[in-house]
Amino acid sequence: MRRADIALACAALALALALPQLAGPFWMGLVTQMLIFGLLALSVDLLLGQTGLFSLCHASFFAVAAYTVAILQVRYAVPTALAAPAGLLAGTLLALVFGIAVRTRGVYFILTTIALGYIVWGVAHRWSSFTGGDNGVTNVPFPALGALRIDSHTEYYYFVLAVMIACALGYRVLIDSPFGLGLRGIKASETRMRSLGYRTNLHLYAAFVLSGLLASLAGVLYVYYNRFVNPVSASFPISVEATLMAIVGGSGTIVGPFIGAAVILGLRNWVSSFFELYATVMGVVFIATVLWAPEGIVGLLIRLRLRIASARREAS
Amino acid sequence: MTAPAIAVGSLTKQFGGLLAVDNVSLTVATGERRVLIGPNGAGKTTLFHCITGTLSASAGRVSLFGLDVTALAESRRTVLGMGRTFQISNVFVDLSLAENLVLALIGGERRKWIMHRPVRAYADLRRRSLEGLEHVGLRPRADESVKHLSYGERRQLELALALNSNPKVLFLDEPCAGLSPNERQRISKLIGALPRDITVVMIEHDMDVALALADRVTVLHRGKIILEGSPAEVQANPQVRDVYFGNV
Amino acid sequence: MMTGAILQAINGVSLAALLFLLASGFTLSFGVMRVVNMAHGAYYLLGGYVGLSTVRATGSFALAIVAGGAAIVLLGFFVDRFLLRRTGENHLAQVLLSVGVAFVIGDIALQIWGGDSLKVPVPELLRGPMELPGGLIYPAYRFVLIFFGIVVGVLLWLLYRKTQIGAVVRAGVDDREQVSATGINIDRLFVMVSALASFLAGMSGVVGGAFLTLYPGAEWEILVYALVVVIVGGLGSLEGAMIGALIVGLLDAYGRWLLPEFSYFVLFAPMALLLLVRPRGLFGKEF
Repeated sequence: MRRADIALACAALALALALPQLAGPFWMGLVTQMLIFGLLALSVDLLLGQTGLFSLCHASFFAVAAYTVAILQVRYAVPTALAAPAGLLAGTLLALVFGIAVRTRGVYFILTTIALGYIVWGVAHRWSSFTGGDNGVTNVPFPALGALRIDSHTEYYYFVLAVMIACALGYRVLIDSPFGLGLRGIKASETRMRSLGYRTNLHLYAAFVLSGLLASLAGVLYVYYNRFVNPVSASFPISVEATLMAIVGGSGTIVGPFIGAAVILGLRNWVSSFFELYATVMGVVFIATVLWAPEGIVGLLIRLRLRIASARREAS
Repeated sequence: MTAPAIAVGSLTKQFGGLLAVDNVSLTVATGERRVLIGPNGAGKTTLFHCITGTLSASAGRVSLFGLDVTALAESRRTVLGMGRTFQISNVFVDLSLAENLVLALIGGERRKWIMHRPVRAYADLRRRSLEGLEHVGLRPRADESVKHLSYGERRQLELALALNSNPKVLFLDEPCAGLSPNERQRISKLIGALPRDITVVMIEHDMDVALALADRVTVLHRGKIILEGSPAEVQANPQVRDVYFGNV
Repeated sequence: MMTGAILQAINGVSLAALLFLLASGFTLSFGVMRVVNMAHGAYYLLGGYVGLSTVRATGSFALAIVAGGAAIVLLGFFVDRFLLRRTGENHLAQVLLSVGVAFVIGDIALQIWGGDSLKVPVPELLRGPMELPGGLIYPAYRFVLIFFGIVVGVLLWLLYRKTQIGAVVRAGVDDREQVSATGINIDRLFVMVSALASFLAGMSGVVGGAFLTLYPGAEWEILVYALVVVIVGGLGSLEGAMIGALIVGLLDAYGRWLLPEFSYFVLFAPMALLLLVRPRGLFGKEF
């Protein structure tokens, strides 16, 4: 089994590396988006898949990081070396504040994060003197670190790919660690964890801040790709879509959120080219996933693999 | 004079209009085996919850080896030495048995905060979790998911979790509930074999199990203690019989 | 300054009346049936649009209110029965599902009524200004809205607290078996409560669409206000919805007046503070 997984990963990597040569700029741009939003979905899944908390404010960290980078680089000519870390820091600081939501559970937590998410959207929307209001901030340059400059979309694609792989590996280490196991324990039974000596609120807070950090990273990558940011990036539908991507792809896994991002973005691209009601299609995908495929694509594939394996055992 | 393992003073727990625990005071000496009996609804589990911190008491005090823990959170009380099992098995269903044990083992350790090394890098955790499972007879299923365990096996795992959380005082809430006679025997043997440096307080419905294991018995009825004494005294007491067989 | 403060107070209270209408349905849905229905905002919008078309066709505002409410009762019935019911008490699934429903409703509404901001025409009788003591001029409609909100609030409160049906509804959540044993059909009860919640949502769209406008996106903006009401007031509590609505309405009005660029912050900061101190809201049950 594991050999097949490794082979699959190598094939995917090879395909990803060769993509700019194989397909045109449109596809490369689309895949770049899939990687960025996949990372956002992964940040949501750190909470959803590992702790069971369903956060709908992650677009806030994404947007705050993006706006910070944009405003610093465009308005104050701050170089990437400072602007990018500042973006990460800003988003993570926001997560430190929004982390108070962790004092609630279940549906209260969901509602609280929704409301918190709207604060950022509201500020982005109404504080036009600083954020540019609905017009946002435009003309964000490509990132440049001293001598290293990114000059083209192709180069940026490889950069994002490299960051993605690093994140995936880091995420793997995190969820395999004692802390990661603790999060899954909290998801399985918080009461049991408390009676075993765990200060569960603190663990959940730490997870929340880490997921905010990841979402901020996605935001930084996003603004350099898009070259522009507006209040839509902080909006509720973005948070919802990130969650849907994690679920459609397979919550609780590392590749799931990326697969989900690929499916949702690909679907939207395809459908919107011939059908005006693509929001309806998205809505239907939500509904269908929740009702009939809650374990997502990865879950379905795992089940399929088990079925094939047991069929093979019976045949022999 | 050393402090008792557990001292409960005038503990009361009220839920709205319902007085579940009514001004209960008791003391358990270090190493003692104390059994709490009483009919359903007597407040035994609620009393446990108040002592371990799962619920906060409406009034009264709880102290552990002389330290007042009344204001402390449940997780803190565990780290100080309280371990417990739940009446309804409260194990980590989506995880493997070994993972369940690892969580119990590191609950009181700083290692639980490590984020940069995998769990499997710690050989001692693997060894101790397997030992813990061996002790309750679940070693062969170590890497299986708890989902596949029977009710009785989950009860065993429940006990293993409590035993491996480094307890000085163990609170067992009906550890034998719903088990077959064989399983019952195995669990009570396990409990009986526990070292005397661990204090055991147990809620048990099965009179035979209770009286065999107990040094002292406390009888609860409608939130109040009505009697406390040696197993023989309690068994002979007519009031206890009335309470159990419905004359009160 | 004083006139300004009073004007804003009335603004706030009239918004509170509207928010109460919408939030009460949402909170009852949760309190009674343990259902989180994020499509409530979309219900508001669609109800408003239906009411608008009704006024255009018949000229009657009263009829529009009924039509808006009824349309959502019908829609809500189907959503509950064929979709939400399948999720049991899985709140995450409910949220995702109802958000999906809201996306669909919003999109279809966009196709039918377009993207412009529309207003439901206020009836002749209620149009125009009213003069208040002290010489203040204020739109009559908003006053009537406050009055309407109070009436509905009192009716709901009486129904919930003082009638047998209300007692059953309150008991229904905690012990379904016991309630069914008394001969009352739990499922039918839930359908009734759900219908009431839907009606309130649809009706509030018509009533709200007469002074706030209806446009794509309004369904999320109003929903978030309703959510803050419910977070502050406590999920499942009718009294909480009333007090929460007042707090939110007033904070919004004064926030917009004093710090327009940070009005959202003025609204949410107290909510965040409340969470720090009392996560379940003012009247919510412990979770």
